[in-house]
Amino acid sequence: MHCNDHHHDNKNYSRRDFLTKTSLGLGALSLGSLISPVNTYGNSEFLNLLESDKMKLPHFVPKAKRVIYLFQSGAPSQLDLFDYKPKLNEMFGQEVPKSIIGEQRLTGMSSGQNTFPMAGSLFDFKQHGQSGAWMSELMPHTSKIVDELCFIKSMYTEAINHDPAMTMIQTGSELPGRPSIGSWLSYGLGTDNKNLPEFVVLVTKGKSGQPLYSRLWGNGFLPSQHQGVQFRSGKDAVLYLENPPGVTSGIREEQLNSLKKLQNIQHADVGDPEILTKISNYEMAYRMQTSVPDVMDISDEPDYIFDLYGEDSRNPGTFAANCLLARKLAEKDVKFIQLYHRGWDQHGNLPRDIKRQAKETDQASAALIQDLKQRGMLEDTLVIWGGEFGRTNYSQGLLKPDNYGRDHHPRCFTIFMAGAGVKKGISLGATDEFGYNITERPVHIHDFQATLMHILGIDHEKLTFKFQGRRYRLTDVHGKVVQEVLA
Amino acid sequence: MLSELIDFLGSLHPLIVHLPIGIVLLTIAIDVFMRNKNNSVHRIITLGWFFSFFSGLLAALFGWFLGDNGYYFESQLGVHRWSGIAFVSLCFLIWLLKFLNFRFSKSSTRFVNLTAIVLLTITGHFGGEMTHGQNYLVENLPFAKKKISTTSIEKDRRSEVDSLFVYEDLLQPVFEQKCMACHNSKNTYGGLNMSDFKSLVKGGNSGAGIQKGNPYESLIYKRVSFPHDHPKFMPPAGVPLSYDQIATLEWWIDNGAKKQLPVSLARKDPKIQRLMEVQYGLDLREKSFLETLKLDPPSKTSLKALEEDKFMWRFLNPEESFLDITYTRNTIEKNDLISLQQVKNNITWLNLSNTNLKDDDLGYLVELPHLTRLKIQKNSRITDNGIKAIKGLENLSQLNLYGTGVTDAAFESFSMMKGLKKLFLWNTRVTPTGIEKFKALHPKVEVVAGLR
Repeated sequence: MHCNDHHHDNKNYSRRDFLTKTSLGLGALSLGSLISPVNTYGNSEFLNLLESDKMKLPHFVPKAKRVIYLFQSGAPSQLDLFDYKPKLNEMFGQEVPKSIIGEQRLTGMSSGQNTFPMAGSLFDFKQHGQSGAWMSELMPHTSKIVDELCFIKSMYTEAINHDPAMTMIQTGSELPGRPSIGSWLSYGLGTDNKNLPEFVVLVTKGKSGQPLYSRLWGNGFLPSQHQGVQFRSGKDAVLYLENPPGVTSGIREEQLNSLKKLQNIQHADVGDPEILTKISNYEMAYRMQTSVPDVMDISDEPDYIFDLYGEDSRNPGTFAANCLLARKLAEKDVKFIQLYHRGWDQHGNLPRDIKRQAKETDQASAALIQDLKQRGMLEDTLVIWGGEFGRTNYSQGLLKPDNYGRDHHPRCFTIFMAGAGVKKGISLGATDEFGYNITERPVHIHDFQATLMHILGIDHEKLTFKFQGRRYRLTDVHGKVVQEVLA
Repeated sequence: MLSELIDFLGSLHPLIVHLPIGIVLLTIAIDVFMRNKNNSVHRIITLGWFFSFFSGLLAALFGWFLGDNGYYFESQLGVHRWSGIAFVSLCFLIWLLKFLNFRFSKSSTRFVNLTAIVLLTITGHFGGEMTHGQNYLVENLPFAKKKISTTSIEKDRRSEVDSLFVYEDLLQPVFEQKCMACHNSKNTYGGLNMSDFKSLVKGGNSGAGIQKGNPYESLIYKRVSFPHDHPKFMPPAGVPLSYDQIATLEWWIDNGAKKQLPVSLARKDPKIQRLMEVQYGLDLREKSFLETLKLDPPSKTSLKALEEDKFMWRFLNPEESFLDITYTRNTIEKNDLISLQQVKNNITWLNLSNTNLKDDDLGYLVELPHLTRLKIQKNSRITDNGIKAIKGLENLSQLNLYGTGVTDAAFESFSMMKGLKKLFLWNTRVTPTGIEKFKALHPKVEVVAGLR
């Protein structure tokens, strides 16, 4: 199976394609039909020429074949996890200097506060590993593997609220409607395993907080077979995948074959490429009837693997169990595996809540990286851990010696990466001593996305899709590859 | 005393030259624009030609002194000198005739005025070239293409760092631009000819040009790195060599000053490497095996040998010559291994993990010359004997063997794999002591054998 061959067949046109690509529109069409009725549609040479400039992917030899993105929804506090700022503890309770905030925009949730007292983290920071990375006591397991990690402490975004910020980091635009990163990769690189989708989403069950929408893993304007497929925990990983009672696999196959015939007739008649997408979706679903239960089955994992990921990993739907599943999906060559873990949006009671969040994610995140390493999979898998923005250095609401909250802060946050294509044991960028503004090597969301694509062998400026009259790409008209993190 | 005075007067030349320029232009302007000339106008014009001649004579005299101190090169100086003298003589002649009340016809007035301006322009231009350097005029033309890089390495050659030489590609163009006006095969000032490598090394009357390995004893390096006001500083006129050009010269002599010293040697010296990258736009980063490899794409028919339901394959590069192949079924058969041979030149990554692969099967992989990543983990029937069969894979950089039956005996085979960088041995029968021993011998190979 040649998996680079994922673009539409040259002869298939949507209504828009049809109207725009018949060169002179309907006038040329009627003229053409006078000359040769056969050539007006489908076989015409000049129609094919317009599509002949196909892109060759990958654009260069990739470093990674797949990505596991451990998305921490709600925005974890970088000041309590990674970005050590002793100055905030020294000046605990004092006002943030005017020169630091300046005239910058704050959210409506804290802009009305009379006072902006600085809240130093209540958690201990220590340096770890040979790289000497500062880590808070909240992440004891991740602290042990810092020499595998590549921190970017100078990430920033423009969005100040969750939905636009998440939409931005997932799709490159704050406005909904663009394809998600995983969809772009699926569209650009095709599949490595035709029995599973290229883009799988796993959401931690039972978490509350900022809502997640399926459009975050949506295909936008790309053909719909590139959308992310959510695997649920429990009995039916993918809803409505199982045959209804009384329908055997043979009957289902026969039914799908007949359906395909009908759809092909329709396609020959109308020529809409979405019909082909529909056929491929049915076929994928049929193959997934066996492949999905197979990959979701963790019963043959040995005890020491469960011990590595933590007790939670035996409980389907937890972050730890999803990390374990992510590894299994990666082993099956799923291209983009996205985990979502909600509940990091700690406007109040941060010390209490972040402890719980860290406990749920720390061990499994570290375990996943270690597990991939021992299997040699860190050589072609990129792991990313991070949220949609950062949190403020001042307390939202009343600052107490043992309690504070933090508001949204898009001006700096920390993410870390590990695995194929990135340097180990480094930390890029820095924030000022108050942890408010970036002082060194700012990395925008688009730069991060450009870098991610670069590691997968894609020039982010070349992977485009023409829609509504112009070519779109993940990074729109922005983004520069962050060379400093590339191995 | 006298020579000092002469030197001083010589240095006044650039000042004095502007007097005749102004005066003669004003005189001609009066001649041209004042149509109805009475006697006093004629006398002013006559006086103008006299002062043109007189100030021109001073300028020429001082210029002669300046040109005599040896800083200027005859071929440049010649035209300037003689056209200057011709100009002064012309001024003298015109003044004399006017003084003797010779009546110039209209056309002859036009002719002498024009000749004076032409001579003035020629003199001025060549004088300017001497002080500002050749091409100073063209360089600053508003629409002329400006050279940003000090040396002219064409853009498409920059990526071929390995085929560039320090002398030919970086230094010789500099010599050509800065030194060879005076030090060439025809004009060998100071006995030095820099137009070819041999005579450059040989040097001139003062001694050897290059002392291989010793820049500070090499006259060429010494002269260009003197303080600018040093009497022996080179080049005496024009723009001196830039810092990076001098540093490149120094580094080249230091490293033996060979004619064929490759530019890629700069990788050993971070300072020079950075300089080459910034100044010449060269990419000197070490290239991996794949980055230097050029292969022909596999033929369509050979790709057909990879059956769709058994193999998953894709190209790793836009040239479609590197193949990444995964076997998707649980048990690989001999026939499958034989079909792989159809594209053996193009296989760069190969994944046969968990395919029930046996020792005998590994023999089929010996003939994959460009294989860099091999994944044969989770095949419990693979033992040390199988590894022995593939020890000749010299471009293999990653080998994944976790969950196989290899033991410490396999380290001997690993030692033979010259390109090996990473080795995965988790869940095998390899012992920690075996790994330690191997690591001591091959510190550059990373061995991952489970969690520490």
